[in-house]
Amino acid sequence: MSLIETKGLQKVFRQAVKDPGLAGAVKHLFTQRYRDKYAVEGIDLKIEEGETVAYVGPNGAGKSTTIKMLSGVLVPSGGEIIVDGRVPYKQRMENAQRIGAVFGQRTQLWWDIPVRESLSLLRDIYQVPTDRFKKNLDVFTELLGMDSFLHLSARKLSLGQRMRADLAAALLHDPKIVYLDEPTIGLDVAVKHRIRDFIKEMNRSKGTTMLLTTHDLGDIEDLCERLVIIDQGRIIYDGKLQEVKDEFARERTIHMQLSSPIPDAEELFRGLPEIQVKRSGDSLEASSDTDLSIRFDRFRCTASDIVKRVMSRGEVVDFRIDEPSIEEIIRRVYDGKLDSAALSAAGKGSA
Amino acid sequence: MIAPAFKKYVSLARCSMQNTLAYRLSFILNFLASFIGLIAMYCLWQAIYTGQDQLSGFTWSQMQAYLLVTFFVNSMLSYYSESSITSKIIDGSVMMDLLRPIQFQKARLAETLGSCVLEGLLSCILIGLAAIFTFGISLPHDAGTLLLFAFSIVSSILLKFSIVYLSALLCFWTTSSFGIYWARTSITNLLSGALVPLAFFPGWLQSTAMVLPFQGIVNTPVTIGLGMTAGTDALQLIAIQWVWIVLLWLLGKWMWSRAVRQITIHGG
Amino acid sequence: MESNIRVKNSPWRILYLYWRLYSQQLKAMMEYSADFYIMIGAAAMTQITGFLFLWVVFSRIPDIQGWGLWEVAFMYAAIYVSEGVGSLFFEGTWRMLRLVNMGELDRYLVRPVPIVLQIFCTGIGMNGLGNILIGGSIIAISLSHIDIAWNLQTIVMAVLLFASAMTIRVAINLAANCSAFWIRSSGNAFPIMVHNLGEFAKYPITIFSLGLQLFISIIVPFAFVSFFPAAAMFGKEPWSYWGWFSPLVAAYFVGLALLILRIGLRRYESAGN
Repeated sequence: MSLIETKGLQKVFRQAVKDPGLAGAVKHLFTQRYRDKYAVEGIDLKIEEGETVAYVGPNGAGKSTTIKMLSGVLVPSGGEIIVDGRVPYKQRMENAQRIGAVFGQRTQLWWDIPVRESLSLLRDIYQVPTDRFKKNLDVFTELLGMDSFLHLSARKLSLGQRMRADLAAALLHDPKIVYLDEPTIGLDVAVKHRIRDFIKEMNRSKGTTMLLTTHDLGDIEDLCERLVIIDQGRIIYDGKLQEVKDEFARERTIHMQLSSPIPDAEELFRGLPEIQVKRSGDSLEASSDTDLSIRFDRFRCTASDIVKRVMSRGEVVDFRIDEPSIEEIIRRVYDGKLDSAALSAAGKGSA
Repeated sequence: MIAPAFKKYVSLARCSMQNTLAYRLSFILNFLASFIGLIAMYCLWQAIYTGQDQLSGFTWSQMQAYLLVTFFVNSMLSYYSESSITSKIIDGSVMMDLLRPIQFQKARLAETLGSCVLEGLLSCILIGLAAIFTFGISLPHDAGTLLLFAFSIVSSILLKFSIVYLSALLCFWTTSSFGIYWARTSITNLLSGALVPLAFFPGWLQSTAMVLPFQGIVNTPVTIGLGMTAGTDALQLIAIQWVWIVLLWLLGKWMWSRAVRQITIHGG
Repeated sequence: MESNIRVKNSPWRILYLYWRLYSQQLKAMMEYSADFYIMIGAAAMTQITGFLFLWVVFSRIPDIQGWGLWEVAFMYAAIYVSEGVGSLFFEGTWRMLRLVNMGELDRYLVRPVPIVLQIFCTGIGMNGLGNILIGGSIIAISLSHIDIAWNLQTIVMAVLLFASAMTIRVAINLAANCSAFWIRSSGNAFPIMVHNLGEFAKYPITIFSLGLQLFISIIVPFAFVSFFPAAAMFGKEPWSYWGWFSPLVAAYFVGLALLILRIGLRRYESAGN
């Protein structure tokens, strides 16, 4: 039995359909039409204890809705959820005792009271023993650098401070599972790093299972081995981050700076499959360009092969190899450029 | 150019009507909420009149008409309209109005009148129903009184707006609108004659009420509508309404200029 | 590090948590002292004008269906005091519209504390203090004008009636505000409408039609906040024994309100959809 398990999980929202304008308003007065919108449409997910999983997808894909169902906030319209042996919405309180949650833009803290007081209120709510509370608070204050703002009320905090305080609030009672919905949204780089380090440290030292949604690819690369991609309420990829890269980020681009231009550079690569040559720079005269970019499939030919061929005709002053960013990969997945069948096959193959 | 300057306020009024329709359910519930008060008052007065021919010059049938007209006047410019002014100030969206080439006071009046049209329509229907079920109501029969009555109701709405607007502006100095709303409502209800006709008051309270603007909201239209005041007396009451409308409107202008200073000091 | 704390909510823990949450809200409120006084003052003023109305009416007639000025004033004030208790200690029920529409219930739902308790402590309505002060005074003055044989039985009854009345009022507030789960419009007036039904219980309910009497006794039992307690205390036949049902009605309506909340929570959609 996995720690978190969902089967065919669904959530339907009912939306009113309205026509614009005064006439539309009058019309709506008499005829009300609704449309069912599937926010989550059949999600099967298994997460093991101690995993850190990134749950990504475009806006409105159903990420937050899933997290809210897992944490017991929303009642599913269909399917099953078991979290640590419990059904979250039925055994809400027992579930709540064992989870922590950070819902991105919305704070868990009390708006008008100092952070320290908020945390001590949460200690009472979660019945954290005094010594453990003290120890956790000390560790968190140190790791998250909260000393400077513990005495301020939540309304006076900057976004970065608030998010750190929220993380501390969510982890104060040593939950087994932590759900993080956009934990780094809108934060500057320094705070982002601090938060990522903290999440890693909690996962390492306490074995806390983490499920996080994010738009920030740094979060994913830094924190998660496993990636779940969701679009329009369905999972379209579930597997190792490295494997999705191997499988779908096959192309590499070599950028070379030459000592002198090579005319007809394309001729060099005759016989190699799927090679694209591009000359960068502003020159219209292709032959006068010293910058050369060559895109290739790294499973069909090697970088050294390409460099060798270029070097046979001229001197390479400098070169660098680019791989597609994870952003690019996910964007392609959203755009449907990757065949989702191939993707899930790859996902299963890696599991 | 007068026409385009006026036109923008007309479209504000239209927008407000549209909004009212969009929130029709809460609008109707709001309305029914005050209708509950009318039913309670009706039954109470009915019990009070058992075994009494008349009280303070009011017969039972006059009292019924009094209750209905009071309800009609009170339901115009309801909490719904009032809160849309105060919430603009409390939630800070008043800043958006400062960026537009419109006058806050006129814009709010336009919006209020827009929703008043619907409020008036709805309360006419409900009152019509109530009148059918209760009978015995004496509304003005001759055209002259009817005209004066209609005019006094329009003036009453403008007067009520002026008072509501002034009290709403006080929200610039608070963080919640409820206290001010409750205070204003209780004073208005008592001194306008909405709770009980001014004629029921002891002499000192009645004369105090008569020199204050509130009586123009309920007492004036009701006494004209019931035919208790007519001719020059009625015209005089309407003139008093207009004196207050002008005075309070100017006071509103002055207070707005003070309030805007408040925004610039506190940064909204 | 497995947490072995059982989530057990003993009455003492609930009371302790209520106190903790409430006192924090109170501290936070102190920052807005101007509002504080305006609210108290406005509530007091509303009640005083209400009492003036009764006084003006009763200066013209001796009684309404056998109920004198002070007896009606007692009922009037009972409704106001219950409103005050609802605001001062359970104001959060009135914030449910916001909690539901803005998705703020999310954070309550992920905490191992009963939702109702967290809703109650969402805010404090200082106007309640004005209601309780003025309403309490009117009740005290009323009782001094009415001949009641104070003994152990009447005192026990008074306490029982009072506790039941306040419980019923808070349960009505909760149930009415649960409409937020169904009516998502930001200006939902349904709770206000239910609140206004209290108008019927400010007067002897015999002045209303039988249907209305039954409605405010059973469906929305405002009559058990004011009329039945008054009838019981003042020995008004044939109503005087109905007051003994008060605790039952309180239990029934608390159950109903909690059921409505449960059903509502199943419909809760959070925000952003």
